Amino acid sequence: MSELYQKLERIVSEKRISDNIYVRHAYSRNVSSNLQGVPDLVIRPSSAEEISEILKIANEENVSVIPRGGGDCEFGGSKPIGDTGIVLDTKSMNNILNLDEENLIVTVEAGISWGKLNEYLYHYGLYTGCLGPGSGMTSSIGGGISHHSVGGGGCAKYGACTNQLVSLEVVLPTGEIINTGSQANKHSKHPFNRFGNGPDLSSLFCGDNGIFGVKTKVSLQVFPKPEFASYKTFLMPRKSLEISAQIMNEIRQKGIDVYDTMYFMDLVVSLGIEYGMFPMWEHLKRKRGIIFYTIEANSEVELAVKVKQLDNIILNKKAEEFGPEISDGNIAKWHYVEQGHWLIAHNLWGLIPGFDPVDAECKVPINAYPKIMRDLDQWDLEHSEDMQKILEITGMRPVTGSGPIIMVKNNNVELTCGFSSFTSYYNGEKHTIIEEINIKLWKSLLERLVKHGVMFYMQGDILSRLMVDIDGYQKEYYELMKAIKKTIDPKQILSRGKYNFWGNNTDN
Amino acid sequence: MSQLKNLKKEWKAIMSCMGCGDCGYAIRPAVGRYLTCPVKEAMEEEGFEIYFSRGRMNVLKSILEGQIPLSKELAEWVYQCSECGNCTEVCHMSQNPYIVLPTCNWIDHVKVWEALRKDLIEAGFAPLDRHNDLIKYMNDDKKKNPYGEERNKKFEWIKEFPEIKDKGELMFFGGCTMPLRQVDTLRSMMKILRAANKEIAMTNEELCCGSIALRIGDEKSISAVIKQNIELFKEKGAKTLFTACAGCYRTWKKDYPELLGEELPFEVKHITEILIELLNNNQIPFKEIEQEDVKVTYHDPCHLGRHMNFYDIPREVISKIPGINLIEMKRTRNNAWCCGAGGGVKSQFPDLAIKISEERINEAIEAGALILTTSCPFCIGNLSDAYEKMDDSIKESIKVVDIIDLIASKL
Repeated sequence: MSELYQKLERIVSEKRISDNIYVRHAYSRNVSSNLQGVPDLVIRPSSAEEISEILKIANEENVSVIPRGGGDCEFGGSKPIGDTGIVLDTKSMNNILNLDEENLIVTVEAGISWGKLNEYLYHYGLYTGCLGPGSGMTSSIGGGISHHSVGGGGCAKYGACTNQLVSLEVVLPTGEIINTGSQANKHSKHPFNRFGNGPDLSSLFCGDNGIFGVKTKVSLQVFPKPEFASYKTFLMPRKSLEISAQIMNEIRQKGIDVYDTMYFMDLVVSLGIEYGMFPMWEHLKRKRGIIFYTIEANSEVELAVKVKQLDNIILNKKAEEFGPEISDGNIAKWHYVEQGHWLIAHNLWGLIPGFDPVDAECKVPINAYPKIMRDLDQWDLEHSEDMQKILEITGMRPVTGSGPIIMVKNNNVELTCGFSSFTSYYNGEKHTIIEEINIKLWKSLLERLVKHGVMFYMQGDILSRLMVDIDGYQKEYYELMKAIKKTIDPKQILSRGKYNFWGNNTDN
Repeated sequence: MSQLKNLKKEWKAIMSCMGCGDCGYAIRPAVGRYLTCPVKEAMEEEGFEIYFSRGRMNVLKSILEGQIPLSKELAEWVYQCSECGNCTEVCHMSQNPYIVLPTCNWIDHVKVWEALRKDLIEAGFAPLDRHNDLIKYMNDDKKKNPYGEERNKKFEWIKEFPEIKDKGELMFFGGCTMPLRQVDTLRSMMKILRAANKEIAMTNEELCCGSIALRIGDEKSISAVIKQNIELFKEKGAKTLFTACAGCYRTWKKDYPELLGEELPFEVKHITEILIELLNNNQIPFKEIEQEDVKVTYHDPCHLGRHMNFYDIPREVISKIPGINLIEMKRTRNNAWCCGAGGGVKSQFPDLAIKISEERINEAIEAGALILTTSCPFCIGNLSDAYEKMDDSIKESIKVVDIIDLIASKL
């Protein structure tokens, strides 16, 4: 047993630390199986104080620490870069600490899932508005805050989950514990506001991809869940890609506070029907794109007005409305009423066995996505030779496209685009060539997207480093980010390797 | 390194695991989903991801890719799983027939765990010590049951019921758990059947169905048993074989035909299917009930529910018992919390099994039930063991009763 292990074991109980080879491999991947990093140790801390002590020892021993919430990053964000370091599994820090019903602020430990928190709030007629990322049944509040997450429901109305942030308790990479927002005033008893007490340092940790601190406590604004809602689904006319963007823009320009709007590309609909994903749409003669909306209101009258406005926008574009039930094709009802919002992002995954997403999650202006998607078609053609090599092994060519295109507050959409390819282990054999092609194509795709000006928000291992490698950042911005990192994490303990602050060397 | 013969057959499932983690953390109240893995929850502070499906799938990916080997140490983790199948129920499950998330088509976790167990056995890292004892007992001609009891003890109860014939169209398969551990429930069964004038037959030549061996991954040791058992009941004239054990039911109804690659020459039923026929024909003469309805909740045994999609009939049976008000627990049917006994956990890790059962009993109390009933002797055994260890206040709140005993008590 290493000296490091012994020191850490004194902080957490022996039950919460492991260097077992199987435990380490259990934590060596996130959602993408293309990226792997086996940690030296895994620890399940139970408090900010424990994390603080762990980080102090990690600094003494110069060992990297990787915070991990739900482990749902598609880009390798919560596993080590390289086979090294300590993974901090924060999921056992999952308590609800306080619900301030008067001020509508909930304070939780950062390891709690969006699912668990919203289940609790439901009993008070409340919800978090933005319901976190598409993986919200598992992914943690801390992880959502670390990535400006969207996509798990409600982000057209409420935007990224960080919009709702009131205050944070964060353990800095060198072990100091700070509180942000109203709690920066040491006399403040309960979190009530994020903005004040000097610069908004909460923002430093929002979307930081785990490089500036470990979130341990989060206070979020919560909202009364409106009593009334309507949810409708429409079959789009031809040229659905462009028309869907026009619809979303018109919704914004008319100021309608739609709760969710999602567009499924023609390809997703036709492939989905072909592979038996959407029995509700099997009857369709024209397998075109599909759009849906959900709108909430506080009265029937208000709802009727909003529904009329939305229907006018969509029907004027010659879209056709499905019937009200899920069996009629109304996927919006499943999304909202049956909480499909935490599953919808999984749609093309596993289309056939071992089909793995190799994509990017990015935010782009509504009016930009048709052009980007057309260019992705072109990108796909340009890489046919490599795609063909995968087909020769697996019998199927990777598929390029986008999952549901999700409207986000501020005239944006979330685009989960890229290609679905195969894991390198196929039919009893490891095919290194598949892995090599996947990584090569992934980087090429991401570079192409960067040049469209997209904003990656969940960057993890591959995206954070690629942005630097391809010189995607404005130089001064990147230098500032690096200077901050150097100041608060001089040994680059936390999430070592992300953003290549010290070059490609992850050993520091 | 082992050839991983069985695991390789499951590569599609293993490589289709995206690692979303819903098998460990899912909460989706709209469809009654409140967490997934009973083992992970019972481990509490020790609950590393190796204890639930996502972490295990990651380990299996590394094993298939040749990064890490099988080992005895791995076996210790792997057998801490009741094979309840709850992870499969949550894995990319839309819970709506009109939307099918394709990943769910490729992953049957229990099949994967059993493939791994087979490879561990073939590589010599399993069975674990207590599982080894069970298999030894089953293969011992003087015993032929996993409890290590004398072979004939299983059939002693039959002597009390001379009306049980040796041959017949409707044959009872007694299994091992009820005759050796819960013989009073068999007496209750006979009380019901006598009252209903229902004739049954049974043979004292039946062999343990082999469920425990299959769940442990020792398929080889039961291949002969399957054929002998089938031939025996065929010879005895069975048109229908019924059992009161959920594990035996799954084994006869699902495993035997799958392993043989052919249909059985007779129908296999669970006792609740016999009971519902009797109830529907008003053949069970219940006493008149004057007191207020008692709230009863039903625990879905994994081997009946998730493994066999058998949810409605036991509920129909309970609903037809006079003086009973069937209520549901928070987690029910395909979302039901496991009792913790299955997959060899009860024998090898009894404390873990009991801890899981305690949670289920508390859930029944929270639902407001005065009786927790189920239709599996293995669940009854584990729930009862947990119940015995719980506080007196729990014992004052609720009773654990087999569905058969529940009916018999009303005659």
